[in-house]
Amino acid sequence: MKKPILAVALSALLAAQAGFAAAEDVKVGTVMGITGPLANFIPPILNAAKLAEADVNAGGGILGGGKFELVVADGQAAAQPSVDAATKLVNLENVAAVMGALSSGATIAAANAVTIPNGVLQVSPTATSPAMTDMDDGDFLYRIVPSDNYQGEVLARIVLDEGINKVAVAYVNNDYGVGIAGTFKENFEKLGGTITGYEKHEDKKNSYRGELATLANGDPEALVLIAYAGGSGAKIVKQSLEAGLFDRFIGTDGLRDDLLIEQVGAEALATSFFSAPTSPAENPAGDALHKRFDEVYGEGSDKPFVDQSYDATMLIALAIEKAGSTDRTAIKDALRFVANAPGEIVGPGEWEKAVKLLAEGKDINYEGAAGSHEFDDNGDVAGFIGKFVVEGDSYKQIAIFE
Amino acid sequence: MELSGMLFYLVSFLIMGGIYSVICLALNMQWGFGGLFNAGIAGFYAVGAYSAAIITSANSANHVGGFDLPIVVGLIVAGILSGIVGWAIARICVRLKADYLAMASIGIAEIIRLAVINEEWLTNGSLGVSRIPRPLEDFFTGRESELVFFIFVWIIVAITFWVAHRLYKSPWGRVMRAIRDNEAAAESVGKDVQSFRIQSFVIGAIFMGVAGALSAHYFKFFSPDATEPLLITFLAWVMLIAGGSGNNKGAVAGALIIWAIWSMTEIITQQLPPDWATRSSYIRMLLIGLFLQFVLQRFRAGLFPEKAPKLNVKSHG
Repeated sequence: MKKPILAVALSALLAAQAGFAAAEDVKVGTVMGITGPLANFIPPILNAAKLAEADVNAGGGILGGGKFELVVADGQAAAQPSVDAATKLVNLENVAAVMGALSSGATIAAANAVTIPNGVLQVSPTATSPAMTDMDDGDFLYRIVPSDNYQGEVLARIVLDEGINKVAVAYVNNDYGVGIAGTFKENFEKLGGTITGYEKHEDKKNSYRGELATLANGDPEALVLIAYAGGSGAKIVKQSLEAGLFDRFIGTDGLRDDLLIEQVGAEALATSFFSAPTSPAENPAGDALHKRFDEVYGEGSDKPFVDQSYDATMLIALAIEKAGSTDRTAIKDALRFVANAPGEIVGPGEWEKAVKLLAEGKDINYEGAAGSHEFDDNGDVAGFIGKFVVEGDSYKQIAIFE
Repeated sequence: MELSGMLFYLVSFLIMGGIYSVICLALNMQWGFGGLFNAGIAGFYAVGAYSAAIITSANSANHVGGFDLPIVVGLIVAGILSGIVGWAIARICVRLKADYLAMASIGIAEIIRLAVINEEWLTNGSLGVSRIPRPLEDFFTGRESELVFFIFVWIIVAITFWVAHRLYKSPWGRVMRAIRDNEAAAESVGKDVQSFRIQSFVIGAIFMGVAGALSAHYFKFFSPDATEPLLITFLAWVMLIAGGSGNNKGAVAGALIIWAIWSMTEIITQQLPPDWATRSSYIRMLLIGLFLQFVLQRFRAGLFPEKAPKLNVKSHG
């Protein structure tokens, strides 16, 4: 009596396995800080990843009709829980690749402790720490936002392009300010510019007159201000104008805030300009994605990192499709193939077209909503930096730098 | 779910569980033995982590060092520096009553956190220290390196446990318990209460620093967001209270059980429909809270209550 039961069980098991092999379902993990300090940002970011998941499944599925499934884990935007979340995804859920995490500390810890040793591709949509560039990651760690260093480098070129050769730099004392100011200084001096003063300051003080008096020495043409408008930025601009120390300001995305115009007035900022990460100039795919996002989720397509989250998920799906299996090393090797030029361009929402091209053996190049995502040797992307000026009570983009 | 996946989840679980065990044993030396309410564990953990990171990482232009020294040296320096910080704090605060010591230690931990964020020359500020090595990295890569690190962590846990066990059984441990239970009585038989308390605080601080060093090597990167008090101080307290303060086995068991609840509840909540993803994370926090309530209500003295060793006094007659 025992034998037949065993035989039936065995054959059922075999059949189940055969079925599994025919239409392979694919799980991809995502580490998000659902609870914790970034909780407010998460819902639209998570929705964007889900939209990518839905796009893949609506477009005929992955690996010959399999279901593409996103497994969400909570990394709480801190190192310890992100490591724990990643190890569960990689080892228990057996995901093919990991999208995330969001903050740099969580991303680097999860990569070093989990995805790199286990040989799993990890793509962060948002981590900007310069430390990721030269990490010993066996080519398993990527990100699709430029490093903090990049904006500083581009800003140096924008300022020199404007014919300004002598500036003073004021920056806020956190990873944002320190990162951008450092690379700005290095590149500006390398390209022949002169920095007359270089001062960091604490956020949210009432008076910056002392720092400004020091910075005004040496006859600088403008003040490069790397700070948040709501923190120290607007106050510094105001106090400089009141004391007649500076009348021309160069800011980054932290300062490019409508709040600044409200507090200082557009007239006073007539000669000032600002840099900020932006999307490619002509981006119909991005616009279409935003429209679809708002249709499905009601609102939120303009929230931070929605584009990046969608693109990171889509890039992973494309890499899996190109790899032809859930073999983790093959997926890693396929990422550059689907993301970088050359190849036929595919964009958000064009999953079916991409699958068809890959099936024909053609090379593809995913150009996303957030940029063209050309990975360099370190797994970094360059991205686009826009130059903005004040117009009325808001800002206008007048040039795009790469 | 494949078997090797289960195994490596377990390895990873036990690495984190081991690091928490060290913190928990250290807290037991302070609170369980001596009744010292340290609410600034994250501060000592940070001192240890940054010391080890700076001592062992390769030379960097972003912060002082790194000195590229062996990991054992890093661990020892982490313990010593953390102990010195503990000593300085103990000198000032240890005379305070339990609740005041708690407040003072929170303050100290916050000062350390601000120093870490602001003193860029020392710690690279909010950008963190990277390229921190792991033991035997040249010989083992990939999953093998996880196994090696797992063994390394549990050797340290064993050493910490041994030290804690010896201390607890020794005459020193008896004095600490006497001070904890009745300070006036201990003083009346001629024990220097303040000096014993300082010793207990410093020894605990040393091992908290060692635990920080282990984390830095595990993540191979250390930035201020890994010193979140909720994840270090609060969790360690819950672990020790649930496991049984005063009992070293309880400290390790508490660390592993609470970390298991923390980690494994997500496996359950992940089975909920994907649309629930955001909500399920909060449900998980609720589950953790409920379970802690259960343990704390059901086992007042912890899962492994303190069992003081019998005095080995031979009766004459």
